[in-house]
Amino acid sequence: MQEFKSLKDIPEQDYFTGGSSACAGCGPSLGLKLALKVLGPETIIINSAGCMTLLPLYPNTPLKASWIHNAIENAASTAAGARHGLDNLGNGDMNVVVYAGDGATYDIGFASLSAAAAKNERIIYICYNNQSYGNTGFQWSTATPYGSETKTTPRGKENPTGNTIVNKDMLKIMGAHRVYAATASLAYPVDFLNKLSRAKERDGFSYIELLGACTAGWNYDPRLTIKISKLAVRCGMWPLYEIEHGMLNLNKDFNELKPIDEFLKMQGRYRALPPEGVERLQELIDEHWAELKEYNKQRYV
Amino acid sequence: MKQTLVTGNEAAAWGARLVRAKYIPNFPITPQTECIETLARWSADGELPGTYFDRMESEHSVMSAAVGAAAVGSRVFTATSSQGLLLMHEVLYIAAGMRLPIVMATISRGLSAPVTLWSDHNDFLDQRDSGWLMFHAENNQEVLDMVLQAYRIAEDPRVLLPAMVNMDGYVLSFTDEPIIIPSPGQVEEFLPKYAPAHTIAKNRPVTVGPPVLEEYSIFRAQNHVASRNALNVIEEVQDDFEKIFGRRYHLVDEFMLEDAELVLVTQGSMSTTAKAAILEMRDEGIKVGLLRLRIIRPWPNEAVAGALKDAKAIAVIDRNVAPGKGGIMFPEIIETLYNLDRLPLVSGFVVGLGGNPQTESKVKEITHKLMDDLAAGRPRMEWNDLEEI
Repeated sequence: MQEFKSLKDIPEQDYFTGGSSACAGCGPSLGLKLALKVLGPETIIINSAGCMTLLPLYPNTPLKASWIHNAIENAASTAAGARHGLDNLGNGDMNVVVYAGDGATYDIGFASLSAAAAKNERIIYICYNNQSYGNTGFQWSTATPYGSETKTTPRGKENPTGNTIVNKDMLKIMGAHRVYAATASLAYPVDFLNKLSRAKERDGFSYIELLGACTAGWNYDPRLTIKISKLAVRCGMWPLYEIEHGMLNLNKDFNELKPIDEFLKMQGRYRALPPEGVERLQELIDEHWAELKEYNKQRYV
Repeated sequence: MKQTLVTGNEAAAWGARLVRAKYIPNFPITPQTECIETLARWSADGELPGTYFDRMESEHSVMSAAVGAAAVGSRVFTATSSQGLLLMHEVLYIAAGMRLPIVMATISRGLSAPVTLWSDHNDFLDQRDSGWLMFHAENNQEVLDMVLQAYRIAEDPRVLLPAMVNMDGYVLSFTDEPIIIPSPGQVEEFLPKYAPAHTIAKNRPVTVGPPVLEEYSIFRAQNHVASRNALNVIEEVQDDFEKIFGRRYHLVDEFMLEDAELVLVTQGSMSTTAKAAILEMRDEGIKVGLLRLRIIRPWPNEAVAGALKDAKAIAVIDRNVAPGKGGIMFPEIIETLYNLDRLPLVSGFVVGLGGNPQTESKVKEITHKLMDDLAAGRPRMEWNDLEEI
């Protein structure tokens, strides 16, 4: 297994070149650029409809790997077909990698994801989680955190909180499928690439969820993508951990979390969240963090 | 030649086996189940070497996985029915747009609500504009033969489109008929190994299914042209097919049309019943014949018009309904005849929905109504299953 010890180990070779139509500061496209450094050109990226679908735009593509965009809810099934097709034709050493948004993963594509994971298909499924339906202009998904404003959970007189639904615990759900499941962050690329490297060597399904900071939807200065990604980890909004064989491993442990305010105040989507909303969000984060600390190195699912 | 008793479902499964389909994603639905169960059994017994039988969690995923496998160069087979076919609907357009020669057996069943398990053609015809090649078999021999031909036509570089082979649920799917099952060697001669030219492969990155801007229309036009090309390919393939298997099919199936004044236009298994009724009516001196539509897309315009041009009156018998309009094939036939010098009278009959039996006596009744229409010079559009609606 290829192991990365520091930033210096990350290959310079890029398979995601210039000329993409992504926003400046786009977290998900940076995630794919990093991922391809490990995966290489003998990779088929299976994309579900979303922001990343616009990376190739006929007749151009910024990618030096293969790409299939099918629809929004079927990336995992498309990947399963591609996997077996390749294996059958003697191309078993090619990587099949899903790169799908959170709406396509948590919501509309969940059935196909769950089946592919339960069948332990040899696929790396990367969910770039920008906590919304980003490409349609930032609407609510079941990955949207409590208190976030979106276009379909706007704040108003009747509901100043915005989104009042607590997001799914997707890592736990995927961990319960008895596959390798991990979170990752753009601010911790060495951790992300090691997780990918591990997934690449596994003879089965891997699920990696990358927090995909979204400058347009979260409403922050594009220069701050990495800073925001780092704060999300430090505040416990996006803890870095992995689940394998049901065991939990917390990758970045902190004695104390930074208060969530620091993360929230950098983004327009939380700007008008009332203090009670911030409190409730902090509670939810603290509960989750306590749970991770409690089960670290133990059976979790 | 030796004949074997098989159901329509088994005939389709034999087709998949003989073409050496490499990937069979599947999901069970009545009345298709026996087809995939047969393949599952063969797979478990090692009768399908090199084939991956993949159980999916929905028909939507079945067609999605079919797309994934076909995009990397696999020969893919699957089968479905009714609600399952509708659940696939979104991905059917995608498979056609990507020009992937997937072949699927569809076992027709009426659509909910209310629930019916029995056959009509609304599920199949709902896919009419999806870009797929659409073939409809009359009997179990034709089911098997059509599956073999479908691959040959779909994989032709001038075509490269997915293809559906339809059979009527229950009437064919669960009924044993004696058919000739060709030898693997014969089929290999007819249909060599699939060697796609444009697939994803090592050292050759390919982008499949990207967004386009103003070129969209060009791609849609290519899909249309490819489907039209299939008409020639279908005819060409018949020579090879006849040489190897001794059977020949045509773009349309003409039955006693030479001197027919009255023509019944049918699809699928009800055609066999109608042919039997026609033989009896011929004994009574009624000059009636039949045109069976076996290729729905691409639409064999000239063959249909040529077969119908001398008729005085035509009854289009639709085992389907477009509520608020009538039978789906009724306007297609009228449109096909529109440019003839002399227009026959055309009446439409909606029959046999949800498996309602299409008996010989009903066929005769329709023929007599058509004679009345001709005498009165007034066509009708009628729901023939019911006394009144």
